Amino acid sequence: MIPELEYASFVWSSYGIFAVVVAWQILQPVLYRRRLMAELREEQALQSGEYDDPNP
Amino acid sequence: MIWKSIKVGFHRLGSPPTFYRFCLLLSPWLWAGFAICTIIGLYYAFYVVPPDYQQSDTVRILYIHVPAAWQAMAGYVVMAILAMIALVWRIRTTEIMAMMCAPIGAAFTLICLATGSIWGRPMWGTWWEWDARLTSMLVLLFIYLGIMGLYAAFEDRRKGARVACILVLVGLVNIPIIHFSVEWWTTLHQGKTIRIFGESSMHYSMMPPLIWMTIAVKLMFGAALLDRSRNELLSQDRRKGWVAKKLLGKGVK
Repeated sequence: MIPELEYASFVWSSYGIFAVVVAWQILQPVLYRRRLMAELREEQALQSGEYDDPNP
Repeated sequence: MIWKSIKVGFHRLGSPPTFYRFCLLLSPWLWAGFAICTIIGLYYAFYVVPPDYQQSDTVRILYIHVPAAWQAMAGYVVMAILAMIALVWRIRTTEIMAMMCAPIGAAFTLICLATGSIWGRPMWGTWWEWDARLTSMLVLLFIYLGIMGLYAAFEDRRKGARVACILVLVGLVNIPIIHFSVEWWTTLHQGKTIRIFGESSMHYSMMPPLIWMTIAVKLMFGAALLDRSRNELLSQDRRKGWVAKKLLGKGVK
């Protein structure tokens, strides 16, 4: 299934770098968005007085 | 009639809630397109296309190296156009999009440099050479990083974006330098092998993975740009009514 290549380490490491960078391009906005949403919800809860302080 | 609809649609995208919805709707389709094109491209790259008679299997590296290089440059041109629109018409969503092009463009430049270096080791006998094409590409990476740094350095993001947009336009001079570097100087990097007009020196049997991967990275650039722009818009407008409404309503996706 996996093709046998000459200079395999060079080829696979290139595709590995490509995969890592692409994965980061997908994940970074998702992770940032999750953090941002948590912040926004907390800010909104603070403003409306519904904030449930985890460390009272 | 069509032109008028396009014009109206374009103006509507200047409105943050509309732009937000636009990104939300379009981005999954672009990601799906990217996934499909990548699968087809990789299938061709590994199972259909034969090894090169000189480069052997290292030619397969070029199916990601070349599209990444093209996208690094095309991404910069897109960023420059957006920066120009942002500076002239002061459209905030365009400003955000211009700034969000930089990390994605930097990622493609990094892929291009890293894969090029890995390809160069067995083919040229060196990881790196200070030749005009490689050096101008490295300069492109520094310009991208400079734009990101400059934008992040200002507390007022709009001011930061305006200053960074000027740097984007100044840095545009590097794009023709990269493109023509193999003609203007004697370089280790080979000259043009693929031509849109005229005959390419690359055999046609090797074209399909290159074409599929080129489309894939373009779709990925678009998808990542919309995702990042949506986040940035939400972050900037966190105190605005439309964000609060979305949070209180159905919830922001």
